[in-house]
This record gives sequence, C-alpha cells and structure tokens, in this order.
Amino acid sequence: MNRPYANLSRRMTIVALLVALLPLNGLGLSLYYYYNYANTQALKEELRIRALNRTTAIELFLAERTALLEVLAHGARLTQLSDESELANLLSIMNRRSWSFVDLGIIDKNGQHRAYVGPYMLKEQNYRAAPWFQQAMQKGVYVSDVFLGYRQVPHFVIAVKHGNGADGWVLRATIDSDVFNRLVRTAQVGKSGDAYILDRQGRLQTPSRRGGKVLDPAPVDVRAVSPGSSVVERTTPDGRQVLTAFSWLGHGNWLLVIDQDPKEVLGTLNLARNVELAVLGLASLFIIIAVLILVRLFIRQLQTNDSERAAIDAQLAHSARLVSLGRMAAGVAHEINNPLAAISELGGEMQDILVPSELAKLEEGEVVGENLARIQNQVDRARGVTHRMLKFARRMEPHMEGIEINEVLRESYSFVEKEALFNNIKVQLDLDPGLPLIKSDRAQLQQVFLNLIDNALDAVGQGGRVRVVSRAEGPWLTVRVSDSGPGVPADLAGRIFDPFFTTKDPGQGTGLGLSISHSIMQRLGGSLELESQPGQGATFVARLPNQPPDTP
Amino acid sequence: MSPFKVLVVDDERDFLESLVRRLQRRSVDAAGVTSGEAALEHLERQRADVVVLDVKMPGMNGIDVLRRIKQLYPEVEVILLTGHASVESGVEGLALQAFDYLIKPVKLDELIERIMEAFDRRKVVSELAGTPQPADS
Repeated sequence: MNRPYANLSRRMTIVALLVALLPLNGLGLSLYYYYNYANTQALKEELRIRALNRTTAIELFLAERTALLEVLAHGARLTQLSDESELANLLSIMNRRSWSFVDLGIIDKNGQHRAYVGPYMLKEQNYRAAPWFQQAMQKGVYVSDVFLGYRQVPHFVIAVKHGNGADGWVLRATIDSDVFNRLVRTAQVGKSGDAYILDRQGRLQTPSRRGGKVLDPAPVDVRAVSPGSSVVERTTPDGRQVLTAFSWLGHGNWLLVIDQDPKEVLGTLNLARNVELAVLGLASLFIIIAVLILVRLFIRQLQTNDSERAAIDAQLAHSARLVSLGRMAAGVAHEINNPLAAISELGGEMQDILVPSELAKLEEGEVVGENLARIQNQVDRARGVTHRMLKFARRMEPHMEGIEINEVLRESYSFVEKEALFNNIKVQLDLDPGLPLIKSDRAQLQQVFLNLIDNALDAVGQGGRVRVVSRAEGPWLTVRVSDSGPGVPADLAGRIFDPFFTTKDPGQGTGLGLSISHSIMQRLGGSLELESQPGQGATFVARLPNQPPDTP
Repeated sequence: MSPFKVLVVDDERDFLESLVRRLQRRSVDAAGVTSGEAALEHLERQRADVVVLDVKMPGMNGIDVLRRIKQLYPEVEVILLTGHASVESGVEGLALQAFDYLIKPVKLDELIERIMEAFDRRKVVSELAGTPQPADS
C-alpha cells in the first residue's frame, strides 16, 4: 500500500476507534468507578453500624456489671461485706450466671483491703495511690483502663464507692479479661478483620489480631479520631489498605476500633464490577477487530476503484489523443491535397499541350517533357502520403466494420516485422484461414495486437520465438500470442493489467499498454487474459465475440 | 464534342480552369464555376448531365449544393471531389445519391472514366423515367 492509502487508512482507523471506543470506555470506566464507590460506601456504612452495635453491647456489658456492684455497695452493710466468707458467697452467686467477675474486694478510705475474695493474694495491698481508687473515691463509680497492677497481669476493674466524702469505702471487682476480649472479638469479620479497644493514650485494651498484646501502643492517632462513630480508609504499618471504623464508648475513655480489609468483603460485590470490566474489554477488542477489517475492506475497494478509474482515464486520454491526431492528419491532408490537385492539373495540362511533336520543336524539349513527367510522379508520391494520412485519420475514428482478424494480425505484425528481423526473433503466424468475418473496430484491434506482439518481442529478446495463433472456438474467435520468454511470475500475474504497472525499466514503458488493451477488449465484448507458467513463457489470449458484420 | 455536358464546381481557380481546359481538350463538353451559388445559377440557364462538385467551399458547401441539385434536377448525376476524406461527408453524400466520392488529387483519366460511368447511369435512369415502359421490355 502506498503512502496516501496508508495515511488514509491510519486516519480512518484512528477516528473510527476514537468514536467507538471513547464513549464505550468512558461509560465502562464510569460504571467501574461507580461500582467501586458504591461498594465501598456500602461497606463503610455496614462497618460503622457494626461498630455502633458492638459499642452498645460493650457499654451494656459494663453498665450491667457496674449496676450490680452499685446495688451491692449501696444495699449491703459494710460489716456484712467485710466477712470474707459472705463475700465469697456473693461472688459465687454472681458468677453462677456468667457475670465474669474474677474477684471482689472491699477497700477502706485509706486504700487498705478490708476483705478480699479471689484467686490472688491481694489482701495486704494498699491502693491509696492507684488511679482507679482515687477516681472511684472522687466520682463514686469508675471503670478503669487496663493496667498491670500488683500482679503484673493486664486487667481492668470496676470500682463503686459507698458513702459520701472521704468517709466512704469502695467495692472493687476485676472483670474476666477472656470474657471481655471475646465480647470485643465478636466484631471481627473474615480472616483478616480485626477488632480491639484503645484507651485515650492509644494503648491496646484488648488484644489485636495483628496489632499486638494488651497495653502495647497501637498505630492509631487516637486524638485525631472524631467523637461518636466514624469510618476512615487508612494504610496499616504493614502496608495494607483497610477500612477502619472508630466508635467511642459512652464513658469516653475507650475507643472501639474495627479494621476490615475491603478486598475480602467486597469479593462478591466486585464480581459484577469485574464482569463489567471483562465485557468492556471484549467489546473493545471486537470493535478494534471490526474497525481494522472494515477499514481494510474499504481501502482495498477504494484502491480497486481508483485503479479502475485510472485505467479508464488513461484509456480516454489515449483515445482522445488518437482522435485529435487523426483530425489533425485529416486537416493537413486536406490542405495539401487541394494545391496538389492544382499542381497535378496544371502540370497535366502542360503535358497535354506539349505532346512529343511539340517538344521536338523546343531546344531542350526532352528535359521539359521529362520534368513534366517527374512533376506527375512527385504529385503521385505526395498523393500516396496524404491518402495514407487520411486513411489513418479514418481509422482513428471509432467505428465498427466487417473485419478479417487474420488480415488485421498480418498488418499489425508488419509494423514490427523489421524489429523482429533485427533481433533475430522467429515469429510464427499460425492463422486459421477459415475464420469468418466479424464486426469489430479495426483500429482498436490493431492497437491491441500490436501491443501484444510488441510485448512478446520485448520479452523474448535476441534469438527468441514468438507464435501468433488465431482460431474459432465456440462463440469466440481467439488470438493467442505466445513467447519463449521467462514468463510472468505468479505474484505479478494478478497485476499486469493494472494501469501503470510495468516491469520494464523506467522510460521504457508507461505501464499502460496491457491495461488499455484489456479495456479495449472488454469494450469490444471480448476479453484479454494471461496464461503463463513461470519458466515456460507467457501466452496472452484475446477473445472476440464471433459476431457477423451484418448484426446491428 | 461529347454527347454530354459536364459542370465542374471548385473554389480553387487554378485547379478549376486547368481541369476544365483539359477536359475540353479531350472533347468533353465541360464548363467551370467557382461556387455553389454559381453552379445552381449555371444549371438554371444550361443543362448539365454530370456535375463534379467540391465538398468544401466557402458559401454553400458541396453537400448543400448536392441536396439542392437533387431536388431541382433529380436526373443530374453528381460526383463529389474533395481534399478531405471525412467518413461522414462521404456517407452523407452517397446517402444523398451522389454518384461517387473521389479524393483529390485524382488522375484525369480516372475522373473521365467515372464521369462517363455516371453519364451511362443517367441515360438509363432518364430513359426509364422519361419514356413509358412497354410491358414486355
């Protein structure tokens, strides 16, 4: 494909692809992002609600236990609670229904244990300096953060004060960490979901699946978390993209954190999105293939049309040239014929007057007589020229007449006979003498035959052989021109009738001969084909309808 | 002189005069005029059996003159003589019943031969047309 077609092809492809793919992919990508957005939003909302639910559950858990301890602290007498067997009895009653108290202790205003029941030996400990004790003494009720305590085991306590001012005493209970941790862990979802509680310093209050042990600092900036509940997208220190829900517990000291890997949960939601992407990809692929095929077809058709038009144009230009050449020849012949006729008559009249007896009287009568005869000879010669010109002019005008193919072939060959002779090419005319007259255009046929024979002579070169055969074959008269040349390579055979296609050196051929011949034969109702086996020479077959001259 | 009259029409004076004199020298009763209009005028005054007519002339051209002659004097034979050999004018001339169509320059002997042939035909035609035909001839 040459440049203009390649350019056109590229431009059409680009435009078609843009027009088809831009809106489609625009729509597709919008849908893709919309799916992503909607899925993420849905997940965030779900996460936030889960966090709120858990927060409520945890608050309820703590509130129930605090309320129970308050009932005890306000309802019982100190003497009764100071009795450790009585206290142990209360603890076992409370734990009978999974209230998850590890121990119970009564602490006087000085921070000294009055009584203690539980698995640890804490009776002698003084809590005056413990933050939870001070807070409980001040506020009446206090739920501590997780701390290590004397046992160096992380735990948290609920403390309730009895009495007013500095004279009260404190009922204190340790909450079973396992039970509390399990309660928090129920907020975890999936393999990678994580749920834990942080205090205001950002320390873990319950263990995190990934973040570490209780009291380890967690990678969350607690101060930046807005009050109430919220959901953010964040990157964990180990580089995972997660959605995180924050929810503050009622007493404001604890923050429930739920981490969720969106990929894990969005899997099914993303299926629709992925199907959409796949459909988009497939559609784009189909469009690209279709565009490429269509552009290719279009360009090929365009090329065919263009070359056909070029052939017709060339043919028309050629015919027009011949016609104007013919007109000119006719005009010239006419202009010469008139003076020539006058010269002929004037000279002839002198010959009439100067008969031999008169010439004898003249001094150089012989010369005069000779010259007068020569004038007639020269006139005859010029007449021959002008009459041939007129004949040529007549031939240039297209017209159908009765034609003997063999005669046209012989005449065509006579034009190149000398050339064949010079190049020592043996030309064999094998003409069927029984061919009927047909109706056709003599001048155009001559042009075709001359072209074919000329090509054959060019193809064989020095010492080659050319054979011209005419036959009647069914409804056709066929003329075969074969040569002993190299033949036409198979890859070029399809193009030899294309206009401007030539294998000759630049300047040696226009590439129009066979193209014009081909269209002439078609116009005359016949055909021109190539029969060539590479290495065995080429044979051109011209077919003409076997049509008698008297048909209209 | 010949038993028939010939009128030569040609705008080429050198050719015309010389040809007429040569015909006369060969005992052909010939006259010449240089235009189509003059030819029709001449025919009004004088009978002619054969007209040798140039096709391409200023004023009335040969084909027009031929058409007019065949209208007015259908028995007169016309030989077209021209330097031009366009097929159309030849065909048209023959369609208008010109006797023949010759291309200049033509040899005098050939021309006289054609003139005599034309006269022969004219004789046959006028005999057939002029005298009632006996049933048995």
